[in-house]
Amino acid sequence: MKWVPADIEMYLQAAEYVDTAIIPLLPIDLEDGMKDSATKTEFATLLSGFLERQFRGRVILMPGIPYQKGMEDNVLPQLEEWNKSLGKVSLRHVFFITSDLAWKQREDKIGGNLLWVPSLPLQQMDERSKTAALEDQAAQLMSLFAQKWEESDTV
Amino acid sequence: MSKNRVSRRQFLNYTLTGVGGFMAAGMLMPMVRFAVDPVLKANAAGDFTATKLNVDKITKEPQRVDFTFEQKDAWYESEVTNTAWVYKNDEGKIVALSPVCKHLGCVVAWNTDKNNPNRFFCPCHFGLYEKDGMNVKGTPPLAPLDEYPYKVKDGILYLGKAKPRKEA
Repeated sequence: MKWVPADIEMYLQAAEYVDTAIIPLLPIDLEDGMKDSATKTEFATLLSGFLERQFRGRVILMPGIPYQKGMEDNVLPQLEEWNKSLGKVSLRHVFFITSDLAWKQREDKIGGNLLWVPSLPLQQMDERSKTAALEDQAAQLMSLFAQKWEESDTV
Repeated sequence: MSKNRVSRRQFLNYTLTGVGGFMAAGMLMPMVRFAVDPVLKANAAGDFTATKLNVDKITKEPQRVDFTFEQKDAWYESEVTNTAWVYKNDEGKIVALSPVCKHLGCVVAWNTDKNNPNRFFCPCHFGLYEKDGMNVKGTPPLAPLDEYPYKVKDGILYLGKAKPRKEA
C-alpha cells in the first residue's frame, strides 16, 4: 500500500494483515555529487515502488525521507523515532531502502533493517532492460522480506 | 406506344418526389448516423493488448507473460506492465489468470512454495490457489483469481481487462 487515501482506507480495514513499512532514504547533494545523488534517489524510489507492487497487501510504502549529503548523523535519531512509532502501530518490520553507502557504514545504529542496494545506471538503459534490471534486484530483496516474515511468523 | 402514357403532371410528380427524396435523405442520413454513433462505438470496444506470446508456445504449465499498455492516471500518462499466468487446461482451452491476490492485492506466483507444489502462492499471507485459479479453503483469499478474457489473432495472444469470476 502506498501513502495515498485509497490505500490507507484499505489499511484501516485490514490493519492486522499489515506489519511492514518501507521507507526510502533519498540523498540530496547540492555540490559536486548532484547527479550522483539524483541517480541514487531515483533508484531507491523505483525499487521501493516495485517492492510495494509485489507486496502491497502486507507493506506500507512511506514517502521517502530526503536528507542533505553529510547530514546523515543528524537524520539518524529521526530514523530511530520512526522505528519506535511504527512499531507502536504494529508495523513491526521497518525496512529502510537506500543506495547511499553512507548508511551502510551506520547500519548498526539504525534500529530497523537497512537494505543497501548499489544503484544501476538506469539512465542509459531502455525501458525493457530497465524493468528487467530492477526486477532482478527486487527479486533478491523479496526473498529477504519473505525470510524476515517467516522468522517472525514462526516465533 | 404503350397505353398508359405518362402525363406531364405525373412526370413532374415522379421526378420531384425522387429528387426531393434524395435531398431529404442527404440531410437525414448524417443526422441518423450521428444519433446512432454511440451505439456503434460501444460495439467496437476492443481493449485487447497484444502480448509477445505465440499461441503455439502455450503449454499445460502456467507461464508468466508480461504485457505493456498505456495508462492515464489523472494527467500522468505512463506505461503499465501487467502480468498474466497463461496455460492450456486439460480441454486444451487457453486460460489467462491475473496474478493479483484477491486477499489484499499482492502478486502471486506459480509453484514458488515448496510445501505446495503446483499451486499459485501469495508470499504476503501465504494464500494458495489451485491451478485453475480457485482459492484454497483455509487460506486468506476468499475469491478465485481474476481471469483475463483473451483473443487469438495471427497466432498471437491478446489479453483484455481482467474480470472477477464466480465464488468458489
